[in-house]
Amino acid sequence: MPPILEVTNLTKRFGGVTAVNRVSLSLDAGRIYGLIGPNGSGKTTLFNCITGLVRRDAGEVRFKRRRIDGLKPHQVFHHGIGRTFQVIRVFPELTALENLMVVTTGDHARACRRAGELLRFVKIESLAGEYAGNLSYGQQKLLEFIRVLMTDPELILLDEPAAGVNRTLLNELLDAVRALRDRGKTILLVEHDMKVVMGLCETVFVLDHGEKLAEGPPGVIQSDERVIEAYFGR
Amino acid sequence: MNPFITPVMLGQVIISGLLAGSLYAMVALGLGLIFGVMRVLNIAHGPLLMLGAYVTFWLFSTVGLNPYLSLLVSMPLLYLLGMLLQRFLVRRVVDAPELSSLLLTFGVSIALVNVAQLAFTSDLRAVEYLTGSFVLGPFAFSKSRVIACAIAIAITVSAFLFLQKTRLGKAIRAVSQSREVAQVCGINVGRIHMIAFGLASALAAAGGSLVAVMVAIQPEMGQVYTFKSFLVIVLGGAGNYPGALLGGLLLGLIEQVSSLFLTTQVNEAVAYILLVLVLLVRPTGLLGGRAS
Amino acid sequence: MRRLGLAALAALAVVALALYPLEGTGYGVRVMLQLFMWIALAQSWNLISGLTGYVSFGHVAFYGMGAYSTAIVIVRLGWPWLPAALLGGAMAMVLALVIGWPCLRLKGPYFAIAMLGLNEVLRVAASYFEGLTGGGLGLSLPTLHASVPIYYAMGLTAAGVTLLTYVILTSRFGLRLMTIREDEVAAEAMGIDTHRYKLYAFLLSAVAPGIVGGLSARDQGYIEPISVFPLLMTITMIVMVLFGGKGTIWGPVLGAVLLFTFQELVWARFIYLHQLLFGAIIVTVVLLMPRGILGVLQQKYNLPRTI
Repeated sequence: MPPILEVTNLTKRFGGVTAVNRVSLSLDAGRIYGLIGPNGSGKTTLFNCITGLVRRDAGEVRFKRRRIDGLKPHQVFHHGIGRTFQVIRVFPELTALENLMVVTTGDHARACRRAGELLRFVKIESLAGEYAGNLSYGQQKLLEFIRVLMTDPELILLDEPAAGVNRTLLNELLDAVRALRDRGKTILLVEHDMKVVMGLCETVFVLDHGEKLAEGPPGVIQSDERVIEAYFGR
Repeated sequence: MNPFITPVMLGQVIISGLLAGSLYAMVALGLGLIFGVMRVLNIAHGPLLMLGAYVTFWLFSTVGLNPYLSLLVSMPLLYLLGMLLQRFLVRRVVDAPELSSLLLTFGVSIALVNVAQLAFTSDLRAVEYLTGSFVLGPFAFSKSRVIACAIAIAITVSAFLFLQKTRLGKAIRAVSQSREVAQVCGINVGRIHMIAFGLASALAAAGGSLVAVMVAIQPEMGQVYTFKSFLVIVLGGAGNYPGALLGGLLLGLIEQVSSLFLTTQVNEAVAYILLVLVLLVRPTGLLGGRAS
Repeated sequence: MRRLGLAALAALAVVALALYPLEGTGYGVRVMLQLFMWIALAQSWNLISGLTGYVSFGHVAFYGMGAYSTAIVIVRLGWPWLPAALLGGAMAMVLALVIGWPCLRLKGPYFAIAMLGLNEVLRVAASYFEGLTGGGLGLSLPTLHASVPIYYAMGLTAAGVTLLTYVILTSRFGLRLMTIREDEVAAEAMGIDTHRYKLYAFLLSAVAPGIVGGLSARDQGYIEPISVFPLLMTITMIVMVLFGGKGTIWGPVLGAVLLFTFQELVWARFIYLHQLLFGAIIVTVVLLMPRGILGVLQQKYNLPRTI
């Protein structure tokens, strides 16, 4: 099986700062990957480069063997890559249901059914008609999460899913992520909560100053000297 | 159209362009200051300039005050008016979407024009003070334009030094870079906004007082300066204060040079076409400014 | 029951408006015709700016384009006024495509400035191409007494845009336009081709201004650059929408009716204070009711967006 996502020597500079420097990653289908690193190490920029929100300066991104670098974000989405944001970005003046409906075109009844399923999946079906802006932080987080699932993407990028979420909700989210993996989806998540990363991910990439520092199973990464140094300094 | 363009003519228009450009730069620095500090496009900037011109006209025709000395009255007056506008109106739309601030300042703008009509009627007024030209070799420069240019440069440079060197100026620049950070550093952002709006209005007033000697004064004279100032800050890059200076000179030059080839009417459109082109090709300004 | 009552009321209003020219005075018909024009303009501005949040600060450009296209084919080619006005709508759409394709990439205030600038370019162009447009002297159309048919055409246009707004607002297309207003980056990331959607909305918002521009050129019998490209007209449509409630269906209609009535009844008496009063109205609306009348009611009583 070829890798589902292949990033090769990806580089992004902002002015004089190299935010992502020749980073290469390879993701296999049906697994959960973690992306960690200190603040400002380039994790979100890497996400933005993969999803087309930021234009890369050099390097390649291949999804299912096809080049997707240089595509617009909406095109990348239609190739089958969905993402969430670090700061919640639901559409506040649309209802929860409408937030889901806008993601798909095509058959209305089917989209409605799918949206209903997803709302039940995260147990917020009673809030379908509520404006998203009126939902609690946690509910918005769930809404943003299921919005990605409307079109059933094969690769899902989650930017800090656990941030600001209480224990109960977090466990539900993590179960949902595992359930997706079991259905063959691939997940790449940026996360600061090490417990989450260690408990969930099968492979972890470490970024520091825009460069890939290490890669491996969580247990190995945890004891890697360079990683400890990057996080805690000499 | 003029098929016979001599080097002398070209030299003349370049110098005229720089003379006009220095005024544009000063006026646009004001608009750029407001945009940089609070992301508000002040459509009333031109009408504030118009008020400055009327202050000069009024002082000249009633007490015969030297138009250049009237700067000392028009600038503080408009500084005050600007602070009041900020305090009571603009403050409340700083964080709103751009539509609110555009509309609000447009409302202020037509109200100011109407006030001027009521106070001074719509008749064309003139301050007949310094007529005639300096002659230097083959070139001739109207005296009023040369003096206006000199004063504009002096004021712009002072404003610039103020922004660069003084504590208050640094605070203003800090707010225009990041309001949150400035706030954390103990800067009173509301006060900075008021001062910035006041300063900007004073710069517009200076422009008004200086053009009062050169052009006909009437209530609707201001609008075109609002547009030109937009263009200057787009050319220079929004939030880039040195950029505004160069943008002003550039606009003056372009306008004058293109006047050799185009009719006055079309020449007016050149500025606007340029505006749109620059926005499309380099939205951060020719000299690079802050991205939107 | 309530729905039925509303529908009956609406039907009654339509019948009354349709019969009005039979009884009304010539002056009355002209006034109503202008009201229809303002409804169509406000409603159109709402389509692009109320839904996507992109502030079209030179929307009168489409009105002017329609007015000139119509007047030119009437004067130079002898077209009848109805197809001429429809051509005005089509030309406005072409203009929207030419402007919108590049400019809708601009964000926030930059788009507003570009639209402002383009409107000025058009005004200058209208004076420049003298052979076609008559230049600064303007164009006089042959005399024709057609206020009553123009009244119907104007009314149909206003009703048409309102219906169009209803259709859009109740569709996923409309929701997708709103995601652009809410969060354009998230909309892109969720697979919405925002540029294309903005362009569609922009094209749709240009048609009616083009048609009513043509109709009022015919009705007034004379156009000149400054009369069909005034910034004040753009501002007036915006204030109408804001006052009534932007992003709703009936907000622009309500705003147009109220502001226009106010204009006819009050301003005519204070001609010297006209601008001052209008400035005060703008400031009041922006500061005190940025959501507009229907926006406030909608929030207070949790009404659907489709009011």
